[in-house]
Amino acid sequence: MRRAAYSLLLVASLYGCATTAIPESALRLPESTLDIRSIQTRTLEASSELNILTATIAVLQDMEFNIDRIEKPLGVITASKVSDADDKGQKTGLFFLDVLCAMGGGGGCDASSTAKDDQHITLTMVVLPNQARAGEYKVRITIQRVIYDKLDRILVLERIDTAETYQAIFDNLRKSLFIQEGTS
Amino acid sequence: MSQPQRLVLLLGLLALAGCATTTPTNIAGSGTQLETRQIQTREYDTLNKAMTMRSVIATLQDLGFTIDQADAELGTVTATRLDEYTMRMTVTVVQKDGERISVRANARIGENAVLDAATYQDFFVVLDKAMFLTMHKVD
Repeated sequence: MRRAAYSLLLVASLYGCATTAIPESALRLPESTLDIRSIQTRTLEASSELNILTATIAVLQDMEFNIDRIEKPLGVITASKVSDADDKGQKTGLFFLDVLCAMGGGGGCDASSTAKDDQHITLTMVVLPNQARAGEYKVRITIQRVIYDKLDRILVLERIDTAETYQAIFDNLRKSLFIQEGTS
Repeated sequence: MSQPQRLVLLLGLLALAGCATTTPTNIAGSGTQLETRQIQTREYDTLNKAMTMRSVIATLQDLGFTIDQADAELGTVTATRLDEYTMRMTVTVVQKDGERISVRANARIGENAVLDAATYQDFFVVLDKAMFLTMHKVD
């Protein structure tokens, strides 16, 4: 018993110096790279890079994003928004869990506080001119989000990889670019 | 105080002390400047700073990062990847002696700086490919 206590203290004393290991594949391309790249990228034709950037800003405003930064020479736009991430099904389930807990006479029934609350979404769009063909641009969008619960604890950190999300944005971008090309 | 009791007290104090120092910690980093710079830096035989920066941005996007900010004039790109852990990178592109382009990458995972050469080597393997494709107008 005494030996176990000494070992525990020794481990605790060493723990103070521990650092988190760097994941081995942190900067290696995952196998899914090509699939994700094709989901996030479209080739668009436009009379200028500026027209694509302007059309994108309009789409982002339509989607209720705020523009954080634009770096025109590199074709980079960064935008973000905070929106509701409530999952009604999950919320109802947690509410009933709290009710059952209270009926059982147990204290600390606050399962509802772990329900999703806000999501902070960041979106980057990068326009890359095709060096070989004038008037053709590769547009790549990447989106990630952090979901918080009611007590501001982080529930989810993730990159959005769903093809439908990107398809919907690119559909809107094509329409916006059509209007932009007509007015410029 | 018996011998075992003294040992327990000593170990207890050691556990509490951990790696504490009296100066504010982790502000100036580890300070091994030259060695760290070497593993974080690559030079490329090109004069095209703008295309190098676009290659850096494409590489970061391929690696799952979202670009927080980019500055063409100063040659910096900062990006974040939200995963099981949060990884943040700053990449600087500088023209050297009017002949070569130097690219330096810094990465942090959560509250730890990435200092191992292999991780930066992985980054530059991906960047090398992107640079090749950009410079040879493939893709």
